[in-house]
Amino acid sequence: MDSLKLLWMSTGLANFELGQVIMMLVGCGLLYLAIARNFEPLLLVPMGFGAILTNIPAAGFSEVGGLLHYIYYAGIDTGIFPLLIFMGVGAMTDFGALIANPKTLLLGAAAQFGIFATLFGAIALNFVGLDFSMKDASAIAIIGGADGPTAIFLASKLAPDLLGAIAVAAYSYMALVPIIQPPIMRALTTEDERKIEMAQLRHVTKVEKIIFPLGVLMMTIFFLPAATPLVGMFCLGNLMRECGVVDRLSSTAQNELINIVTIFLGLGVGSKLSADQFLNAKTLGILALGAIAFSIGTATGVLMAKLMNKFAKEKVNPLIGAAGVSAVPMAARVANKVGLEANPHNFLLMHAMGPNVAGVLGSAVAAGILLALVG
Amino acid sequence: MENLQQLFIEAGTLMLAGMVFVFTFLGLLIVFIKVVLVRLATKFPDAIVESRASSKKNNKKQDGNGVSPAVVAAISSAVTQYRQQHSAQK
Repeated sequence: MDSLKLLWMSTGLANFELGQVIMMLVGCGLLYLAIARNFEPLLLVPMGFGAILTNIPAAGFSEVGGLLHYIYYAGIDTGIFPLLIFMGVGAMTDFGALIANPKTLLLGAAAQFGIFATLFGAIALNFVGLDFSMKDASAIAIIGGADGPTAIFLASKLAPDLLGAIAVAAYSYMALVPIIQPPIMRALTTEDERKIEMAQLRHVTKVEKIIFPLGVLMMTIFFLPAATPLVGMFCLGNLMRECGVVDRLSSTAQNELINIVTIFLGLGVGSKLSADQFLNAKTLGILALGAIAFSIGTATGVLMAKLMNKFAKEKVNPLIGAAGVSAVPMAARVANKVGLEANPHNFLLMHAMGPNVAGVLGSAVAAGILLALVG
Repeated sequence: MENLQQLFIEAGTLMLAGMVFVFTFLGLLIVFIKVVLVRLATKFPDAIVESRASSKKNNKKQDGNGVSPAVVAAISSAVTQYRQQHSAQK
């Protein structure tokens, strides 16, 4: 009889707690979004599955000795996984559109206002009883950068307890860019502004593309060493892509390596989706703040483009300002789509790639500032 | 409450410092592109452009695929003209 009781006690059914069941359902929800709705499936599939694994009772996936525990501490706690992903993103990024039209960097800079404005929102939530410190607020605010690896990197350094919720919010909103951005873009622009056609971009030489990442790195070393982990890995990936002598390494960084790391990153983030860390009011606050950060970033990007049009001879279509929030290349595609609705002959995709990649640099710089001042 | 006020002031400072820094950093990058990269581009044009220039000199030479550089030059100038006309129509 005792052995039967022991057997029963070792089953999942006897050990389930309500929180674990709910978190498994959250994991299933993430899997549904990834598989049925195609929302950032590359990350949400391992993340959702990680959430299920980590909540299995008596299996100890996230305890010392468990697989997810080691994946998290080896790759996310140390910051290695997001940085490797950033190297792969660098290897996939073409700065041509940005170099051809450098003033789009201002759009990428303006869109970072979403990050810094959200800091206020996070602190304001202390009024309703949510206890967010400055570090927590900074980690939450970076969701507005619309850059998954940057958000995970900063959250792992400043607020590891909130990492799961921040990663879920960041990736969910990145997937929701086509829904969140267009109404804001339409509200802030007139039909005529959306119809603005932009001049064809000039040809960018190979030498420019090779020197660019080195220049960016040099400037980061001089002015913001705290951002060099992110910017450095990004520039390494980009240099490998552009220099033309290490195509094998570039190909590995943007394919095999980033794929392998994505699996572990997803599982590691999933391991943070445990009931005690996720099922609280803070998560709701983080989800709300993430949407606000995204919306403000989109709006300030568009408004900056309108401001530039007041002074510049060569007009820019304000829609491309929305791509300044990064979320490469989804935000650029959205700008292109909204532009095509106003003028079917107006292809903004390449023009929007400029602020889009500027946004990646901008959010890495913003993350560096937050690390330097708050970390 | 006083602590919250302190946090708000800190957030405000961070926002101001952060935005000024992001704009300065990316602004300097614009200067870098306009001053350094554009000059480099004129000094070291791409090899394709060079070969097109040299093909004008040796336009009777055939390349490895049997396509005359003169034909390549004719096609590319036709494409450029077409694009120019096309954009002019818009």
